[in-house]
Amino acid sequence: MTEARIKPNPHAGLPGGKRRWPFHLSILLLLMPALLVPNYFRQVALFSGTGGLGERKLGEITIGPWKAQLAEFSVEEPLDQGLAGHIKSFALGLEPESATHVKASYMRVGKPRTLRAAGAIFYGPPYRQLVDLPIPQRTEPGERLWLTMEGWDGSVHQASIALSEASPVTEAWLAKQKGTR
Amino acid sequence: MKAKLKTALMAVLATLAMTAPALAHYPFCTCALRDGSITCTGGFSDGTGAEGVKLDVISYDEEVLIPGKFGADSKVSFKRPDGEFYILFDAGPGHVVEIDWHDIDGVEK
Repeated sequence: MTEARIKPNPHAGLPGGKRRWPFHLSILLLLMPALLVPNYFRQVALFSGTGGLGERKLGEITIGPWKAQLAEFSVEEPLDQGLAGHIKSFALGLEPESATHVKASYMRVGKPRTLRAAGAIFYGPPYRQLVDLPIPQRTEPGERLWLTMEGWDGSVHQASIALSEASPVTEAWLAKQKGTR
Repeated sequence: MKAKLKTALMAVLATLAMTAPALAHYPFCTCALRDGSITCTGGFSDGTGAEGVKLDVISYDEEVLIPGKFGADSKVSFKRPDGEFYILFDAGPGHVVEIDWHDIDGVEK
């Protein structure tokens, strides 16, 4: 009669016991969220406003009698939105003395022809508004962003900022796009 | 083992189903010239059509040359006007798309 040979388990007594790979996989699964947590909190701070107006503050901008803080919401290239083209977000915070006078704010690449075509509208409360600005296909590097504000008294005021100043990432992206066109 | 795999797959599917959908809906409008007539197609990036949305053809001196509205098929057609003009898709303040006459597909630049 032969005796069956039992192979000794080298991992006996260790966590995971005989099968080690699920043990290692579980450690990896625990580490993965820990690696993503900093980015998660950065996103939460950005969207909740606790991290300020946006990722890249542009400072104060004067639009006629009104003042506001402007920021590039997220320092990234314009997002492809399919048929609607590429969209880039900016944030605006009206100063308290201006907030009660401004009815609506708009942004556009290039000078608007009329108030009706003033561009995309800022949405949200006056102290932290966002705009999803379409970047037209024909946009050339060196263009300016035009901010149009309409007051409750019917007055309209405008100001502009160079795209290269407002979003160097977008300016670089445009130069890259032009090269591939 | 198969049951565990099934449970894991169900969990992944449930997580995907709970993902918040994108809420943004950006307007778009494309126009093309065919046989002297311009046809514009409009809509929103979330798949919504443009039925009833205003589309005006405006001259460079701000005179509305052709006032129009999108039909149920989200299209509107009109005869190409003379001179320089732009087309304005107007779904309300801040929800506009401008198309300059030389950006119309099929127009000789």
